[in-house]
Amino acid sequence: MTDRRSEILAVIKDTRSLPTIPAIIGKLNAMSVSDKASIQEMARMVSSDQVLSARVLRLANSPSYGFYRVSTISNAMILLGVDVVKSLALSSSIFEIMEKSVLGLWEHSLGAGVAANIIAKRLRLHDCEEISTAALLHDIGKVIMKIKFPDEYSQLLSSIHNDENYFQEAELELFGIDHAEVGGWLAKYWFLPDKLIEPIACHHDVEKAGNHQVKASVVHLADILIKASGFGFSGDDVVHPLSELAWQRLNLNDVIIRDIIEELEDKMVEVKNFTLELQSADAL
Amino acid sequence: MQNIPISQSQPGMTLAKDVVRPDNPNGSPLCGKGVELTAPIIMRLQNMGVQSIIVEGHPLWLEGDKTLEELLADLDHRFRRLDDHPRMQAIKDVYRDCIINSMEGSAQNDR
Repeated sequence: MTDRRSEILAVIKDTRSLPTIPAIIGKLNAMSVSDKASIQEMARMVSSDQVLSARVLRLANSPSYGFYRVSTISNAMILLGVDVVKSLALSSSIFEIMEKSVLGLWEHSLGAGVAANIIAKRLRLHDCEEISTAALLHDIGKVIMKIKFPDEYSQLLSSIHNDENYFQEAELELFGIDHAEVGGWLAKYWFLPDKLIEPIACHHDVEKAGNHQVKASVVHLADILIKASGFGFSGDDVVHPLSELAWQRLNLNDVIIRDIIEELEDKMVEVKNFTLELQSADAL
Repeated sequence: MQNIPISQSQPGMTLAKDVVRPDNPNGSPLCGKGVELTAPIIMRLQNMGVQSIIVEGHPLWLEGDKTLEELLADLDHRFRRLDDHPRMQAIKDVYRDCIINSMEGSAQNDR
């Protein structure tokens, strides 16, 4: 199985067929490393690519960030942070693919972003925007797997349907690697910070997270809650059990969890409208 | 509560959420939640370019809408592997309450 796993990783790492990383991101990475560059300079650079800016703003205005109305890249960088804008720029082409070919997964990701935002705010955590972004990106490994291994991916989906497996179990059986690890790898390849990599890579296994167990726990809970609410389709329709460690790390109790779920369900009425509007805008 | 197209709204329905201007969602709302719709209000909202509103209960049955029983059966189905997880059963109960609450307003409207 290890061979199969490294074979899979090798195919994924073959950057020729990875969704292209805009050249601007390389420059942005270099800029954010040097302390000299100001947010304004970085914003000007992203804004110089109109298609990219439009995609980033569209994601920045999604309900995952609690309905900010951001109209410029420079505002997005101030409100959401440079790391978040960078991750949105990097992942925007994947979201484009998701919206067109795996709508259910796009809805699931968007919903997880909304849930994570509500959880992080209710628990008064720092880095709410990073946590929402990690949740928005948590299943990005699934899209890559679908792009790289289209035949196996459909085989995977039908085996889940027939055997009532969890998606992740079926993945491990077929590929020897799961979408969380692939997503974490991709985030690392994009030079995203650990606070985004760990929650993506460990959203099914909070224990594996190092310094960012709390963030991983939020994404783990957000994934479960959005599946419980039945919004979107992540590949299977079975709710996972919540990890005991995540429960403890977030200091949850019955009152808090009820508050979070009620707020999420209330919010989802608006979010459903948001995705419908996006679809009708695309159809025009 | 239910999200409905403004064209299908009827006097007597109650807003469950504020209605905001489509071109300025951060501005003050055009109409606050709790307001009972009248024909002039609906016309005004339509003229302002509002596409959809969120109203109390489930007054409108659109194609593909699920009944309360169907929604609860779907919930049971999603939690089917968690029968021996007391904590997940408690979480499921919260969802059950939310689903029942969101549909119940409609029964009041029908009365």
